[in-house]
Amino acid sequence: MPQYVLMLLEHEDWVDRQSKEDKERAYASINKWVEDITKKGIMKGGEELQSKRTATTVRRKNGAMSVTEGPFIESKEHVGGFMMIEVPDLDAAIAIAKSWPGGDVEVRPIVVH
Amino acid sequence: MSKYAFLFIDDGVDYQGTPTPEQQKVYADIFKWFETNGSKITDGGAELQPTRTATTIRKSTGKVTVVDGPFIEAKESVGGFSILELPDKAAAVALAKTWPGYGIEIRPVGDHMEGE
Repeated sequence: MPQYVLMLLEHEDWVDRQSKEDKERAYASINKWVEDITKKGIMKGGEELQSKRTATTVRRKNGAMSVTEGPFIESKEHVGGFMMIEVPDLDAAIAIAKSWPGGDVEVRPIVVH
Repeated sequence: MSKYAFLFIDDGVDYQGTPTPEQQKVYADIFKWFETNGSKITDGGAELQPTRTATTIRKSTGKVTVVDGPFIEAKESVGGFSILELPDKAAAVALAKTWPGYGIEIRPVGDHMEGE
């Protein structure tokens, strides 16, 4: 069965703007959702990333690797985490992404070697 | 030891399409890099298909919409990720500098709720 990555997107510093109670509520629904798709055997792993302020980017410039503070792209949205899922097709992956209780999601198929 | 996510950044080269011999060498070097650093990798993560295969689900407006394409159109995009266990950020940066590909965004992995 094909695997897809759900890139979980965060809008600016949404996390920082929430009250402690709002955050607890959001995480409770996320944890329940993760538990649910884990039980169904859909979940194949994932990680939550620390805030974009903790990002460091290393990239090739004129042949040499240069280091800059911050994410690779400055935008209102950034990747806040990843999840790998195993589902029959893209439609099923989109359905899972729609049910994610967090924010926006980019779905990408995984390269099979 | 701490866990770091390496977000591998593509600069638009489509390795799954028709890469030049030079790009094929980079791809082969990337395989070697994973072999060499295998002991540090706690989760191999995934290599993603090109951004033209991306679908983005938007909910910010209160209505769920599905659009073709990545969340942001740019020359650079996320091409994959792996989770590595390394002593500190300096070690992560030093290792990222040995990456044969284009670039890496390094992000510590962790729970936003921690330390509150």
